Parts: sequence; structure tokens; C-alpha cells
Amino acid sequence: MIQIRDLLIRRGKIDALRVDSLDIRRGETLAVVGPNGAGKSTLLLALAHLIKPARGMITFHNTSLGEWDDVKYRRMIAFVFQDPLLMDLSVRENIGLGLKFRGLEGQEIMTRVNKWAKTMGLASLLNRRAGQLSGGEAQRVSLARAFVLGPELLLMDEPFSAVDPPTRAQLLKDLSRLLSRDHRTTVFVTHNLLEAAQMGDRVAVVIGGELKQVGTPRQIKSRPSDASVRAFLRELPY
Amino acid sequence: MSFDREVIQITLLSLQVSGIATTASLLLGLPFGTWLALGDFRGRSFILSIINTGMALPPVVVGLVVAMSLWRSGPLGDLRLIYTPWAIVLAQTIIAAPVVTGLTAAALESLDPRLQQQLLGLGASRIQMILHLWREARLPLLAALMAGFGSVISEVGASMMVGGNIRGQTRVLTTAIVLETSKGEFERALALSALLLILTYLINLALTWIQQRGVKR
Amino acid sequence: MKKFALLFLLLLASCSEAVPENAVILVSTTSTQDSGLLDVLLPAFTLQTGYQVNLIATGSGQALKIAEQGNADIVLLHSPQAELKFMQEGFGLERRPVMHNDFVIVGPSMDPASIRAQPTALAAFEEIFASASTFVSRGDESGTHVKELSLWDQADLDPAGKDWYLETGQGQGATLSIASEKQGYALTDRGTFLAYRSNVDLVILFEGDPILLNVYHVITVNPEKWPHVNLMGAQAFADFVTSSEGQQIIREYGVEEYGQPLFIPFVGSESP
Repeated sequence: MIQIRDLLIRRGKIDALRVDSLDIRRGETLAVVGPNGAGKSTLLLALAHLIKPARGMITFHNTSLGEWDDVKYRRMIAFVFQDPLLMDLSVRENIGLGLKFRGLEGQEIMTRVNKWAKTMGLASLLNRRAGQLSGGEAQRVSLARAFVLGPELLLMDEPFSAVDPPTRAQLLKDLSRLLSRDHRTTVFVTHNLLEAAQMGDRVAVVIGGELKQVGTPRQIKSRPSDASVRAFLRELPY
Repeated sequence: MSFDREVIQITLLSLQVSGIATTASLLLGLPFGTWLALGDFRGRSFILSIINTGMALPPVVVGLVVAMSLWRSGPLGDLRLIYTPWAIVLAQTIIAAPVVTGLTAAALESLDPRLQQQLLGLGASRIQMILHLWREARLPLLAALMAGFGSVISEVGASMMVGGNIRGQTRVLTTAIVLETSKGEFERALALSALLLILTYLINLALTWIQQRGVKR
Repeated sequence: MKKFALLFLLLLASCSEAVPENAVILVSTTSTQDSGLLDVLLPAFTLQTGYQVNLIATGSGQALKIAEQGNADIVLLHSPQAELKFMQEGFGLERRPVMHNDFVIVGPSMDPASIRAQPTALAAFEEIFASASTFVSRGDESGTHVKELSLWDQADLDPAGKDWYLETGQGQGATLSIASEKQGYALTDRGTFLAYRSNVDLVILFEGDPILLNVYHVITVNPEKWPHVNLMGAQAFADFVTSSEGQQIIREYGVEEYGQPLFIPFVGSESP
């Protein structure tokens, strides 16, 4: 569904990300893992076409991102950041935000919001204001906000790193279930190898701004492609 | 004309002139300030520093420059605006615009910088994104509006110089206060001052109410 | 932080010095200040007597109010009626004539109301009224304004509220600027006009009528009402401006720059 070829992203004067070749298959969850500052978030921003490449191409459904109308393309995807980044509105209004951008009618919005609020266990919080939520609740709203859009591509940038471990474990479980149930194409960024192995059908390792290896968790573990990948694997209890 | 009728006329003129100037400065300053806050281009810091200096522009200096431009001998003399209410509107807009621009930029810059990307990432068009950012920053934005209005309803130097304080035509509350004081009519001056304060208070009360609406503590 | 506090205290201290013993507070009108005479007269006074002069220039009305409240030591004014009331109410100790000049009617050189040809000031005012020509008034109850109103009154005319009659409520300089921009007529004292002539697009169209005389008096504030006034300094000033030296300065002021004196010194006759 998505093909990246010969990609180079520059931030200022620095080469932030280099990807020779990467395919993302429909329905798969691709976990992108690597140390902090490696360029993983940059990959997501590029996939959302929020930053433009200096060189190379990303194609979506065989059409280059450069040829898509930006807003139209982004209305086919959804982006979840590390922090919930909720607006100063009610939970209901936050979840429905993306639907409002797409111009859906109030009735339709309400139906879909209610459904996903229930799925994410937020039904009782719908009228709460965003500022009154706990960290975990807020992140679930952020997820609901993305899911309610029924996106073709879901981009998630370390969505649970700001949440405490017990909540995190639960959220991971819920997310994993939802993704596999709906066969939603997802790119999931994390610096935690365990999480990557748990969530991802395949794992992409990005170190020092370069895509080093792509494969199943087992493939990466048993045959790391180079010294940097090996070093990265060693750092974590596995 | 009795004093009371005249006071009403002066008050209405003050509100009209400062109201139009504030609106104009909002129409100029809100988009410009937004562009400065959200944009990323060379020279951005430089322009911001100019705007911040502009916030502290002495009104009387603005008055002098505008007056000299509008004199018959000046470059814009053919417009025949000098000593008319529109001249005051012009000067006051120049005074308020940097205030609104600078405070708008600060208001938007105080938002989480990733909010912009998050909104776009949810499929917002540029306009939808900007409208929602404005809504998110409505507290400091309304403060910017109040600051802009406050900077012109209370100023006297520019109004005097470009308006001429002509009775029935360009006399506003502040210039009237100066006049009554120079005549030694301190009681009248105080009455006009009280009127100006009450007026300003009521307007700010209304704006504050709008600002605080829906803010749950 | 400590250095800052020290600096701040020093700043405060320097602001709080009281008016020194040898200072005289003179209150006069903006038109007197605008004529520039005081820029020559006051330093000469300081040179001779050592008294510093703190000058406050405002409209006539406020000038007298300031003196009434004891915030001035001496008044130099050209508003006889108001001055007499001031004396009657006991605020002034001594009133002495100093100099006079005259008022002139200025306007656009094309003179739409043809006042150049008029025999008297009142006739000129009548023509302005009849032709509804733009007239710019001080409108601030200053000496000039009071004079202007008395002229309208004597001509039995009331321009108030007419749309060609503009009241600025400002000083003479500003009023002349406005008259120049609007190309209208105005009544002004000769002195200010000569000082501003190069800045405005107006000419003297009528002058010389005795009714247009403008007399200046100096009044010392009565210490009975306000014991803290600098009576000695005030009297020194009154003495100086009426002395032969002071009168000489007045006689010569403006001749070099404008070709004619702006003021005629008082030479010992009755105060009008």
C-alpha cells in the first residue's frame, strides 16, 4: 500500500532520515523501533506528508505523496502523538474533531463518537472537559479520536510512553486487539523493543537516522543486519 | 449646545473612532500575528522584534508623523484627511496594530507547537487549523483585543495632533479633558474622566465575560 | 540585585529635591511662550538676580486657577477681565502693566470675505459672518478667545454652532496650524503669528484697529492666602520686567528676526 524509495529528509542542514527502501503492506502493523532521536518520528511525519523529503519518493496507492492534495491525503489517515494534545473542549468534542474537519453532519458525528467512546471505555466521560482527565484517560481519548475516523493508515508516535506502566500495559492490550480486529494498516513508533515485538507484525529498526533492517521480530533477533543493530538489541533485556 | 448633549456627542465620537480603529487593527493584526507565530521563514525574529518595538511606540510620535503626512504640504495632503475623524482612526490604528499583532503572536506561540501538526494530522485544512488554534488561544487573544482597545481609547497625543480637537467634529473624551483642564474647569475635567473610565470598564467587562465564558475552574 | 536596588534608590533620591529657595514659579499663557519672548526675558532675569524661573504655560483660565491654589508665585497674563476678578477676590497682591501688543486677523491670502478692505475690526467680523467663511477659534477661554468673543458680541453676532465656525480648544500655535490647513480666518496676537509665520499658509489681513489692543500685566500672588509663595522672588520678577532693562529687552525682541517688534513696552501710563 505504501512504498518508500530512496528517501532523504533534511532538518535544517542535517540529514535526519535515510530510507533506501521500505514497503508497508495493507493490514499490517509495522513497528518502527530505535534509540531516541534516531529519526523514527521523522519517518511518521514524512508519511503524514507534514514534512517534505529533500530527495526520494513515498507513494500511497501507487501515487506519489507529492501528487496527492495534502488535505485530501491526510483525511485518509490519522496521527496520534506521544502526548494526547487534546483541545480545550469536552471529550465528546475532542473525539469528534477529525470528523468535524471532514465536514460530517452532527448526527453522524454523534453516532460514531458514541460508538468509539464505548469501545475505549470513555462513555461515562463524554461530557468531561479535556483538562479534567487523567493521563491514561486522555490518551484513550486521543486513540478514540483517531479510530473514529476509520483511517486507511494509522500513524502512532510512541503513544504510551507518557503513561504509567500499569495503564500502559492495559492500553497496549486494548490497542493490539483493536488493530488486529480491524486489520488496520498501522505504523507504530516506539523506543521499546519489547513493545515493538509485541505490537508489530514486522519491525523496522532505525538507528542514527538510517533504516537498518526490516523483518519479523524473530528475524531481527536471530539475524541482526549489522553491528549497530546488534548493539541496540543488547541494550535491552530480551 | 448644552454641556450634556455635547458630552454625549463627544462620547459617541470617541467610541466610534476607537472602535473602528480597534477593529481595523484586529483585521490587520490577527492574521499578521498568526502568520508570524506559525510561519517559519528567514527574518521572522527580526520582524517580531520590530513589532515588539512597535508596541511601545509613543502615541504622540505616531501623531506627529501621521499629521506631517496628512498636512497639505505633506505626501498624503491630497487626501484632505487632516483634522477629520478619519485621521484619528488612522493614527489610532497605527498605534493599536502592533499591540494586537505582537500579543496575537505571543498567544499562539504559547500553545504547544505540536498542536499545529496534530490538527493537520487529523485532516484539518489550513483554515480549520488556524480557526481551532484561535479558539484554543482565545484567552490571550481576547486579552490582545482588550490591550489594543485600551491603547487607543486612552490616548490623547495623537488624537490632538491629527484631529485638532475641533468642537463638534474631532473632539473626543481625552482631548476634551485636556481642554477643560486648560480652562481651569477641573470639575468638568473630572466628570469627563470618570465617564471615560466607566466606559472603558464596561467594555472590558463585556470582553472579559466573553473571554471567561466556558472556562471551568 | 543589590546594585539594582542601590541605583533605584539613588534615582528616587534625585527626584525628591524640593524646589530650591531661589526659584520662582511663573505661570503664563501658551501664546506668550509661543512668541519666544520668555526665552530671552527669563534668562536675563536669572542672570541679573540669580533667581531660577520655573515656567508653566497653559491657557489663561487654568493659569489663574493655578495661582488661586497657590501653585505659582507670579502670573503674567493678558486677560484683563479675568485678572480684575482675580484681584477682587484677593488672590493677587499687586498688578502692574508690562507691555502690550495687538491682535490681528489672519487668513488665506485670497481673502474670500474681503476683510482687507474693511474699515474696522467689527466690520471685518461682520463680513466673515455674512459670507460664512471658515473661522477658526481658540475655543479655550484664553485671553485671545475672550477677546474674540467680545468682538463677536460687540458686532451683535453669534457664530456658535455654525458649521463654518471651528473651535479647537488648543493653543495659538495649534490653532494657526489648523486655520492654515483649513484655509480659514483666525484672530491671533501678532507676536505668535510672527513667530509661526513661516510654518503656516496665512497672511495678516486686518490690523490697527484700537479695539484690537492686547495688554499684558504681571500679578504677584498674595502671600496672605498662601504663605509659602516666594514673594521676594515674585517681586524681583515684577520689578525686572518693568525696569528699564526689562523693558528694553521687550522693546527689541523680534526686530532682528521679524523686522518689527512683537511687543510694545509699557511706558508708564494707566493700566487699561
